[in-house]
Amino acid sequence: MSELGSSAATPIAEPPSKRRRVHDDSLDSTPRYGSPDGAAQSSPPNTDHLPGQGLSIRRAPRTTHDKTHHHRHRDEPPIRPNYQPHLLLQGHTRAISQVRISPDGRWIASASADGTAKIWDASTGAHLETLVGHMAGVSCLAWAPDSNTLATGSDDKAIRLWDRVTGSPAHAVGRRDNTGEAAGVAMKALIGKGGRRARVGVSGEGVRGGRTGRGALLGHHNYVYSLAFSPKGNILVSGSYDEAVFLWDVRAGRLMRSLPAHSDPVSGVDFCRDGTLVCLRTLVHEDNPAVTNVCFSPNGRFVLAFNLDNSIRLWDYVSGSVKKTYQGHTNKGFSIGGCFGVLSDTDDGIEKEDADQEGTRRQAFIASASEDGDIVMWDVESKQVIQRIKRAHEGVCFSVDVHGGTMVSAGQDGLIKVFRHRPRNLSLKQENGESDGLNGANGHLGKSDTPDAVAADEELQRQVEADAGSPGQHVKEEHL
Amino acid sequence: MNLLLSDDYLLQDYPENITNTIRSGHSTCVRFNRRGDFLASGRVDGTVVIWDLETMGVARKLRGHSKNITSLSWSRCGRYLLSACQGWKAILWDLQNGKRHREVRFRAPVYGAELHPWNHYQFAAALFEDQPMLVDITDSADVRYVLPPVQKRPNTEGDAALKEKHAKEDAKHMTTAIVYTAAGDHLLAGTTKGRLNIIDAKTREIIYSEKIASGIITTLRLTESGKDLLVNAQDRIIRTFHVPNLSAADLDPDTIQIPLEHKFQDVVNRLSWNHVAFSATGEYVAASTYNNHELYIWERGHGSLVRMLEGPKEEQGVIEWHPHRALLAACGLETGRINIWSVTSPQRWSALAPDFAEVEENVEYIEKEDEFDIHPQEEIQKRRLDQEDEDVDVLTVENGGGLSEEVAAFRMPILFNLGESDSEEEFVNVGLGTLRRKSPGDQDEGEMTGEEKGPGKKAGGTGRGRGKKK
Repeated sequence: MSELGSSAATPIAEPPSKRRRVHDDSLDSTPRYGSPDGAAQSSPPNTDHLPGQGLSIRRAPRTTHDKTHHHRHRDEPPIRPNYQPHLLLQGHTRAISQVRISPDGRWIASASADGTAKIWDASTGAHLETLVGHMAGVSCLAWAPDSNTLATGSDDKAIRLWDRVTGSPAHAVGRRDNTGEAAGVAMKALIGKGGRRARVGVSGEGVRGGRTGRGALLGHHNYVYSLAFSPKGNILVSGSYDEAVFLWDVRAGRLMRSLPAHSDPVSGVDFCRDGTLVCLRTLVHEDNPAVTNVCFSPNGRFVLAFNLDNSIRLWDYVSGSVKKTYQGHTNKGFSIGGCFGVLSDTDDGIEKEDADQEGTRRQAFIASASEDGDIVMWDVESKQVIQRIKRAHEGVCFSVDVHGGTMVSAGQDGLIKVFRHRPRNLSLKQENGESDGLNGANGHLGKSDTPDAVAADEELQRQVEADAGSPGQHVKEEHL
Repeated sequence: MNLLLSDDYLLQDYPENITNTIRSGHSTCVRFNRRGDFLASGRVDGTVVIWDLETMGVARKLRGHSKNITSLSWSRCGRYLLSACQGWKAILWDLQNGKRHREVRFRAPVYGAELHPWNHYQFAAALFEDQPMLVDITDSADVRYVLPPVQKRPNTEGDAALKEKHAKEDAKHMTTAIVYTAAGDHLLAGTTKGRLNIIDAKTREIIYSEKIASGIITTLRLTESGKDLLVNAQDRIIRTFHVPNLSAADLDPDTIQIPLEHKFQDVVNRLSWNHVAFSATGEYVAASTYNNHELYIWERGHGSLVRMLEGPKEEQGVIEWHPHRALLAACGLETGRINIWSVTSPQRWSALAPDFAEVEENVEYIEKEDEFDIHPQEEIQKRRLDQEDEDVDVLTVENGGGLSEEVAAFRMPILFNLGESDSEEEFVNVGLGTLRRKSPGDQDEGEMTGEEKGPGKKAGGTGRGRGKKK
């Protein structure tokens, strides 16, 4: 389709008339989305749109947790996520199932039900590559730790590895003929001509469970549902609807081991930070709500499991107990994604006098998509919603990924949004006229003066519609 | 495996049975890197192959030698690898890009070359029928220092005949093995006459020399701490020694003592030993046997034989113990395969359902009073949420692993095009299993197999047929 070729990012170019600094969801979110403990806890995080008192109120519920770690910073306000819209990436013709930022933070990859994956530049939003080859919707993807290789898993039961730079399949083991490459070129050519993505005969490319040419890793009997690389990048783990977890030797492209321990579709896999453990959905809870996604905490000590009962649970996998339950988003029917986010002082724009390692404060939070199109962020300790981006996506928001000060989300509407963290104290200062130069990349967002996020999103939406003039851009498809 | 979950401390600390066989060409020597995630193997055709122990697959191939590789030595950071071959040269490889970093040519085949433990720009080499050398490659032109094979004689003023006689005698002393001490300021060298020399790496003079064996010393190995020395000699005896701290400031060369600790030998079969290795901690000593298929493992505390490892019906050459696991790699002399012995941890199926516990025998279960009471859902939910007031720390990394000192350690790039660069390799694809072996006729060309010696695996593999792909 021609839109595929002409897909482009839409940076919100001219200084928009809406100010997106503050997300004003305090008025309606409390009754509707408040955590079960009631309004008393969920309202303080949302009070910061009152610049005068925001700091003190915000700090109040956190003091108990602060003293457990970060002793030396007890007097400072905690770092709180404040992600504001930054870029809008469009090009996918159908719902986007997963979006991930590369480990070095420079690239964004998105997997879509339209059978393609796309690579974007995280800072400019430029569309770099469209990865065509899967015969069905792509449901998952994973970045190799060196950020140069991308793995995609699809409903066509195949896993493909891609070279980020060339956009071509990364595998070249054991084959000297280049049918796979030729087929890829042919497909690209077809797309270039504006034809439909044709079913070119690439099915012979991959070989079951063995070495392949520039083909796919085949072996799963059903949809490939989740992927993760080991920290060293030598092993790829895949979870599939066929109830198996496969470990792949990335170099040779061969199936190394299969872990047949499940009796349900495996919907989430992740690697521990030292690469010794693969996480699966075998955590048992009393009422066993289905787990759709898992991810390890940054230190590999806990597992975050996304349950289909509107909650996210933090498990201590050694003792097998639930430590925390995060609620406030909607998750009943879809496999939605989220992750841990870590913000440090540098993301907050605070220049520390003592810039040594000990002095850097790091604050973790949990970000998740929601089926009502929101993005919700919780404080790890207090389980409170600390930021909610409302209506980030039309329909279901499927996937959120955070890398430092950058957050990216994707949803059913086929759009990807990039958000940037903007330190609150800076924006407060700016409002008081004390400083005007925001950090360059998102400076254009902060110049105007309408603190109405809903209106801002409408503006964004209008822009989307204007840019997406061609039909088929907004085809909404139920994912899976 | 994950330290938090594994019960590895219950397992044995020496390997038990053969778990893997890997093959790429005909390997003659192997060496683990310090972290133990890669294994370098040197082949008869001069290729050096780096194996990833996690995947049991080839991670890199280094081509540059044309003759049999005789020794391999990793740098501390794991980025550089020194390989020496019979073709009179040694190459220092940079594994970042797989290119040769430096190449040093000698005037004789190299028995063995070992990198300085802290400085990868310095190494010592034992040469065939020549004097050992200390090579410094810090500058672009390498600097070589010839090391003395015998201690200086005090009476240099003696008559010409005696001098000549001494010179003749000295000429028979050849250094066959050379290693650095842990600190790197001394070298231990073994000679054809069974002498152990301690050489000061700075002055390059022998500060101590003693005859410790009656035959040629073939292998010298030190533990990681450098306090124990393992010597294999052709007199069919493996000896362990305590090495004093040679870097002590008040070291007096005249008082150095290298006390013998154990002698390991098989007095019944009169076996001689191909190669020896210390275990990770130095607690065990392993040896491969000449004209025999077994590997012997002794325990050093009492000096008793604890295990004879059965393997394939093949004599094993070079053996290596993993730097921190109970894993032993050995090269088959005949086929050139690398056989790996380790412990297989039993599967803990109860881990799949943490709310179930394994019991030895039937237990009558008495339920608690309120155990099966039905509570309203909300109440349960609320109670559960109330319990979650513990503080969790999701960021701090616990340093329990021991090897966490190298956080920013070298990471080898992942290569995809290993097959392409390798014209002689052919891969055989056999279905879903992991068994891939070529038909017996063309085994010697150099293929790669990763057989898993697991129950049922073999049958599954052959069942799918051995169609040769290509």
